[in-house]
Amino acid sequence: MTTSSRLNIGAVRCTFAPWEDPTAKPLIRFEGVVKRFGDDVAVNGVSLDIYEKEFFALLGPSGCGKTTLMRMLAGFETPNEGRITLEGEDILAKPAHKRPVNMMFQSYALFPHLNVEQNIAFGLKDLPKDERNDRVLEMLALVRLEGLARRKPDQLSGGQRQRVALARAIAPRPRLLLLDEPLAALDKKLRDETQFELVALQERLGMTFMVVTHDQEEAMVMSTRVAVMDKGQIVQVGRPSEVYETPNSRYVADFIGEVNLFEAKVISADGVTMTLAGDNCPAGYAVREDDLLSPGAAVTLAVRPEKIQVSQDRPPAGANGMAGKVADIGYLGDWTTYLITVPGGMTVRAARANSARIVERPIDWDDEVWLSFSPDAAVVLTS
Amino acid sequence: MRRGPSAFNVASVVLGMAFLYLPILLLVVFSFNASKLVTVWGGFSTRWYAALFQDQQMLDAIGVTLRVGLVSATLATGLGTLAALALSKVGGFRGRLLFSGMIYAPLVMPEVILGLSLLLLFVAVGAPRGIWTVTVSHATMTLCYAAVVIQARLVSFDKSLEEAARDLGRTPVQAFFDVTLPNIAPAVVAAWMLAFTLSLDDLVIASFTSGPGSTTLPMRIYSQVRLGVNPEINAVSTLLIGLVATGVIAAYLVQQRRKVAEDAV
Amino acid sequence: MSKLRPLHRGLPALAPFLWLAAFFLFPFVLVAKLSLSDIALAMPPYAPRLDLSKGLAGVSTFLHSLDFDAYRHMVEDGVYAAAYLSSLKFAAIGTGILLLVGYPMAYGMARCPPKVRQALLMMVVLPFWTSFLIRIYAWIAILKPEGLLNAALGWLGLPPVALMDNDPAVIIGLVYAYLPFMVLPLYSVLERQDESLLEAASDLGCTQFEAFWRVTFPMSLPGVAAGALLCFIPMVGEFVIPDLLGGSSTLMLGKTIWTEFFANRDWPAASAVAIILLATLIAPILIYQRQQAKLLDAQ
Repeated sequence: MTTSSRLNIGAVRCTFAPWEDPTAKPLIRFEGVVKRFGDDVAVNGVSLDIYEKEFFALLGPSGCGKTTLMRMLAGFETPNEGRITLEGEDILAKPAHKRPVNMMFQSYALFPHLNVEQNIAFGLKDLPKDERNDRVLEMLALVRLEGLARRKPDQLSGGQRQRVALARAIAPRPRLLLLDEPLAALDKKLRDETQFELVALQERLGMTFMVVTHDQEEAMVMSTRVAVMDKGQIVQVGRPSEVYETPNSRYVADFIGEVNLFEAKVISADGVTMTLAGDNCPAGYAVREDDLLSPGAAVTLAVRPEKIQVSQDRPPAGANGMAGKVADIGYLGDWTTYLITVPGGMTVRAARANSARIVERPIDWDDEVWLSFSPDAAVVLTS
Repeated sequence: MRRGPSAFNVASVVLGMAFLYLPILLLVVFSFNASKLVTVWGGFSTRWYAALFQDQQMLDAIGVTLRVGLVSATLATGLGTLAALALSKVGGFRGRLLFSGMIYAPLVMPEVILGLSLLLLFVAVGAPRGIWTVTVSHATMTLCYAAVVIQARLVSFDKSLEEAARDLGRTPVQAFFDVTLPNIAPAVVAAWMLAFTLSLDDLVIASFTSGPGSTTLPMRIYSQVRLGVNPEINAVSTLLIGLVATGVIAAYLVQQRRKVAEDAV
Repeated sequence: MSKLRPLHRGLPALAPFLWLAAFFLFPFVLVAKLSLSDIALAMPPYAPRLDLSKGLAGVSTFLHSLDFDAYRHMVEDGVYAAAYLSSLKFAAIGTGILLLVGYPMAYGMARCPPKVRQALLMMVVLPFWTSFLIRIYAWIAILKPEGLLNAALGWLGLPPVALMDNDPAVIIGLVYAYLPFMVLPLYSVLERQDESLLEAASDLGCTQFEAFWRVTFPMSLPGVAAGALLCFIPMVGEFVIPDLLGGSSTLMLGKTIWTEFFANRDWPAASAVAIILLATLIAPILIYQRQQAKLLDAQ
């Protein structure tokens, strides 16, 4: 991606980026993978590389094919076309039980007739007895369940079950761990904690994780890279910050986070700044010119709510100012969201961090306000 | 909150239960009647039980019935488990419609038809009729019941458990024995017990398919009943009912205890 | 690519499939064949027999001597038609009474507290596990002229009733024996019903009875259908009940097959009756089977 090398995108800096190294060999490679169920195409020509030690997230709405993609890796589905290789070796020839890939199931799939210890030891039947016991103890310590080794799954809380499922899946030391909606069954607070725990665990183990989720926050917090899927295809792959800050399509911009989309037409460009016209902003837009676009081209400007300033004072010229009226205010505690009606009838969403406890001139319903965003804030989408 | 039962609800249940249980209760009571007449209470006695244990023909019939029941129930449970597994597979397979038809049809098929058709089969292949033909016939009839009981359990069985077992290095066959079977075991036991009781109870099919020397208990009871009410039949019936009731109530209590234990957690 | 249903998925079905094909499906072919044969004084008592030693000629002779005599005989003799109609009549009346008795009972059970419900359910299942024959036998002692019912009526100073060896006795037996089969499917749909639907109905202005009639009852129709089929189909072919409780004038097809086979040793006639019975029941059996499959898929 050209933009990422020129600009510092997002607030996180990370040196781990094997996908930018042309000599790096991927751990997992999908090549033109297609999977049909009857007349439905679940996965439609997916090619994707996943590298060792990555925490890779497949993100998309339900029915987008992400789970099918994962189940093909585990060996529960066979692609109709294409290849899947692990360290260059075709894994499609191997049945599920011979693949060095383990899965943590969304339902956890803990064996109800076995206790915690026996569940964790289930995948270790080829190890000598001593080693197996050691490994089970190690896993119990890793997920902090030492005292519960003899409990049956139905005697555990949701969070404890989740940790047993995790321990059981990593116990055989797979080359790749698949996590199917790993946090979906947990309540919000536990989910927030567990996200960071999973990342810490993955780094400690040095294992490659691939997670399937429909929850963008989960994907953003945990992963090194996110692949956004739609209708069986991968729409965009990149670091969470890249996918968030430079979405390559309306679909991605809209799916990840909140976004305002302004329809506009290119008027002129000088190599640094591009001037555009649109119904919502009578004064015209000014945005950073990233790609070469000829005048007259129709584009969509995507601007995140937190990058739009709400003010009672008129912004200076060239700051993409729009006059509007407050239609609704949502107070979330840390943030406040404003819905503001602008010329052209569109409702713009703007968010403001509540960094001060005392606000001098609070904004009220039906107030006339000004919106503005900096030329850097908008992403120009052509598709 | 569910509204409680109304007086009408309670009355329907009580009358229904009375209708179901009164005849059985009377039968049990009169098995302890000293008099040979059913309508006259001649005092408490266990003489009909004593008579029962001296009736060699009756004892032989019990022996035949138990042997047929044990073997046919085991056969039916094995085959029924396989049938239930096939039926519960998602997506189906070629011939599934015919197969499920063959599973459900015998459940409602009049026994007279089943008995007659099986007899004609044994005659056509020249199999001598006896304890084995009854066993095979009972296994055929009860395998469908077994399949339905086990399938009902498999429907609620989380398929991802089997996938998890394969993911953790088990072949499909190993996954079945390590994970599926232990989890459906209660249903398999229930299916066996059902198959056994059905075999124990059957009169019609056994009448068609048995031969000399393989008279089952229901056949023996039937031929006695045709001659009229007989306190000895009351005694053997009471024993049978006691046996089955003990089994069913024990199974019920075990299930209740397990539920209580689960709720306690 | 066409939708291929993989054969290997059905692999566990192979053994039960072959078993049922051999012991359930194939015998029906034999019944059909025998119904076209003639009675003979031999063992087995029918002709012709397929003689494969004569090769194709044997097959041809065999095929030519098959006829519809057994069926023709059945049409000519009014007893069979009467038995056929009376079987359907008994089954229909029995099913109707069972619905009237079973529905309030299942409904009452479903309204009980969960703990009581479990115990009641077990009590309904228990007779299902006890011998059919014994349960019918228990009624003989009650219904016979000098039986317990008349003794009780006499004690109350009421005239005795004749409820043995006649049609009402058969109906009592049918209702008694099949009651659990009616209650169980009804109970399972009624018990699953969401209580909030009734609350919604009364919130929208229904009286309790209207709520039952407009919400509960329509929603329980699958259970009504399942229970009715589960009782009606085997009742048409019932043998033990008409034999033990019915009189000599009680005609039912199951009894006819039994008599033709064991008493008259007319195997072709018994087979022809069986085929007619089967032809009558095949449609309800298919409906029942489809309904069961749908129920299981819905779960």
